[in-house]
Amino acid sequence: MNTVSTSRYLDSLLQGQPPASPLSWLNALRANAVDRVGALSVPTTRDEDWRFTDISPLTKLSFQPALGAAQPAPGTAQLNAADIERWSIAEASARLVFVDGMYAPEHSFNRAGITVENLASGVSTHAAAVQAQLGRHAAFEHNAFAALNTAFLHDGALVIVPRDAALKAPVHLLYVATRKQAASYPRCLVIAETGSAATVVEDFVALQEASYFTNAVTEMSLAGNAAVHHVRVQRDGAEAFHIANCAVSLASASRYHSVSVALGARISRHNLNVLLAAEGAECSIDGLALIGGQQLADTHTLIDHATPQCVSRQLHKCIVDDAARAVFNGNIMVRAGAQRTDSSQSSRNLLLSAKARVDTKPQLEIFADDVKCAHGATVGQLDVDEVFYLKSRGLSDTAARNLLTYAFGAEVIERIPVASLRQRLEQLVLAQTQAPALGAVHPS
Amino acid sequence: MSTTLQNLVNQPYQHGFVSDIESDVAPKGLSEDTIRLISAKKNEPEWLLELRLKAYQQWLKMEEPQWPNVHYPKIDFQAISYYSAPKPKKTLASMDEVDPELLRTFEKLGVPMNERAKLAGVAVDVIFDSVSVATTYKAKLAEVGIIFCSISEAVRDHPDLVRKYLGSVVPVGDNYYAALNSAVFTDGSFCFIPKGVKCPMDLSTYFRINTENSGQFERTLIIAEEGASVSYLEGCTAPKFDTNQLHAAVVELVALDNADIKYSTVQNWYAGDENGLGGIYNFVTKRGLCKGVNSRISWTQVETGSAITWKYPSCVLRGDNSVGEFYSVALTNHYQQADTGTKMIHLGKNTRSTIVSKGISAGHSNNSYRGLVRIAPTAAGARNYSQCDSMLIGEQCGANTFPYIQVNNPSAKVEHEASTSKIGEDQLFYFAQRGIGAEEAVSMIINGFCKDVFQQLPMEFAVEATKLLGLKLEGSVG
Repeated sequence: MNTVSTSRYLDSLLQGQPPASPLSWLNALRANAVDRVGALSVPTTRDEDWRFTDISPLTKLSFQPALGAAQPAPGTAQLNAADIERWSIAEASARLVFVDGMYAPEHSFNRAGITVENLASGVSTHAAAVQAQLGRHAAFEHNAFAALNTAFLHDGALVIVPRDAALKAPVHLLYVATRKQAASYPRCLVIAETGSAATVVEDFVALQEASYFTNAVTEMSLAGNAAVHHVRVQRDGAEAFHIANCAVSLASASRYHSVSVALGARISRHNLNVLLAAEGAECSIDGLALIGGQQLADTHTLIDHATPQCVSRQLHKCIVDDAARAVFNGNIMVRAGAQRTDSSQSSRNLLLSAKARVDTKPQLEIFADDVKCAHGATVGQLDVDEVFYLKSRGLSDTAARNLLTYAFGAEVIERIPVASLRQRLEQLVLAQTQAPALGAVHPS
Repeated sequence: MSTTLQNLVNQPYQHGFVSDIESDVAPKGLSEDTIRLISAKKNEPEWLLELRLKAYQQWLKMEEPQWPNVHYPKIDFQAISYYSAPKPKKTLASMDEVDPELLRTFEKLGVPMNERAKLAGVAVDVIFDSVSVATTYKAKLAEVGIIFCSISEAVRDHPDLVRKYLGSVVPVGDNYYAALNSAVFTDGSFCFIPKGVKCPMDLSTYFRINTENSGQFERTLIIAEEGASVSYLEGCTAPKFDTNQLHAAVVELVALDNADIKYSTVQNWYAGDENGLGGIYNFVTKRGLCKGVNSRISWTQVETGSAITWKYPSCVLRGDNSVGEFYSVALTNHYQQADTGTKMIHLGKNTRSTIVSKGISAGHSNNSYRGLVRIAPTAAGARNYSQCDSMLIGEQCGANTFPYIQVNNPSAKVEHEASTSKIGEDQLFYFAQRGIGAEEAVSMIINGFCKDVFQQLPMEFAVEATKLLGLKLEGSVG
């Protein structure tokens, strides 16, 4: 594939942009992003960052921006309240629903007592805060997809946790894809002010099996002593393309805990960049990809220790079945002067079938001497001793394998702080691991 | 403390001198004519000239790779002289006939070759610039059927063997520098261990880059037939120059069924001065092919010199049950850069590989481990264990780890671990408490850190390496 056709592809995606906003800074940001989209091309496997993820299947399809079509296109399933209930989280004190990236107020509510609203109205009600943060964290200079999202920036989710507010119940941001051949650009901005605490759940679901393109950008800014739990569940349809860029910036002594679960999509790519921008910041980043069929799940993370005395922990797990492929690239950067950094990273991968494939690259770049950094990676199948142990206690081979596979994934899911979501995902993983395709190859 | 340590680190290069031997130097520049000249000078057969020209054609189409984590000014390949040989003399019958100037050079290096060879029981094939000048113990090796000679001699005397294996592990168009080497290589070592023979002694070669501005393009080919085994040692020192010298070598190892090759390197080429001026560019392609079942290839390297080291001694594990090993210590100081590691390509069933890499960075240097472990779908039951430890000394240096792990078989088991540490005040204090000075303490800590690798080196090399590391690092901890 040559550069000309791929850059034209991006141009085709630029069609049907939202109307100009009354805010000049927002228009300028968008115009800048449009320029970058024009200058960049769709990454290929020749780019180091996309070496293992071939997104050319995406470029063979054409997508229409969801906001362009005011009327439901043919083939669009109707979304009703019962569907929303299916995905709802009982504990949530606020919920914002976006249908194909567009705000659906009829399904949303806010009982949290903090700002949880759509960005389109937030830009005027919280003008100063939004202008100071929006587009500041998710750099799109060299990232075609982040640039594309920014070019379409008109609405999204805005969560502002005020100073010293400690929100116990989670905020649920639900992104529902309903339309075939639609490109949606979900956007989320979370601002946690000094000393605040909150839990934000981003949940990507599909109403029906269809080929669509989700290109999401999430930005989070944590002020001093703020604590945010961020749960990200990607359960898109098996035909979908999901590309997400998430950028988090941490001020002094703030804490960011993230759990990302990738189950769906034909090709998914999640970039998570965490900047530890001031002393004493801490983050823990956990991920689970559970995939089968022809799926490809790619996670790229960057933990940037820019300042001294920050702590980071990362656990990323992949369970790969059939002819699926998991990619993990975890970069830990310790900048010059970031002394007393404490960082550890672990990539664990379980291959369940002969055609399954894992490409993992845990990466350390260290430019300071007084640091504690370790990383590890393993790839393998279920331990025969463990299987034997369970069988010796009367479990069938299949049951033993399913249980061990489930336990492998459960370690990450257990870290989700929302009980009902955790249970639901555990059920989901359990169902997946008991599907005939998984682990049932050895009848006992 | 830091000043003492600083002084210790900044020891001048001890092996820096130019010996004044008249060289037969080809005019600068690279073209088909240069290649024909090299080939003609060496009286090469037609097929080798064709191989060189093919490599040159491919090289012309290739681009200099940009992906390594090293930075250097662009190399002007037309400013290099591609052939330099000590003045041709009659074939030497004994050591007495060797140019006395040459012998004096080795004297200064502390390698009284004739003595040392006897003492250590090592056959030393000395390469001075590009042409072999003396070979010892040749007869003894010939008794058991081992061929150990320069590659030019091998081309002349054993053309079939060379033709069969040359370029079979590293094809002429493999990468930019391998293609360049294939086009212009002047000399190197050739070693052939026939079926069932265990080489009675360690083979070693000493390399010196001598004439200024002459890149050394050296080619090594080692073949171990069924059931054969050999341990090959390579040690390097180079004189001090201010202009950079390019060294683009290619080493190919072939191990047939049940064969065993152990290749050890101690590299201490001129690293440039404390401001990063000068030094050798060491861009090397080293690859071993475990072609037969149950074969084993083991790389051990101690990299302390060169302004830039860029090499990935690799193992292609094609034979079932074959074993690949990589043990490495890479030390960088001042403005040195190293991007080194290994590739373990598992193709056969039950293949196993071990990677132990120790990186030590001091001063303003940058040290990267870059490794690939690939398990092909055919490599059922493959096993890999990798361990990469970095030690940082000072605040200005960098240590990076880029492990690529690609697994395509569920029965494979791959493990990778990496850690980073430093020499801390409290460790030094602990030593001081027991009456051990900073210098010695650093040396002991470093030796402890590198023990896993040094254990793999043959005795004499282990002693040399320990001394070398101590010398290179003294004074860098504060």
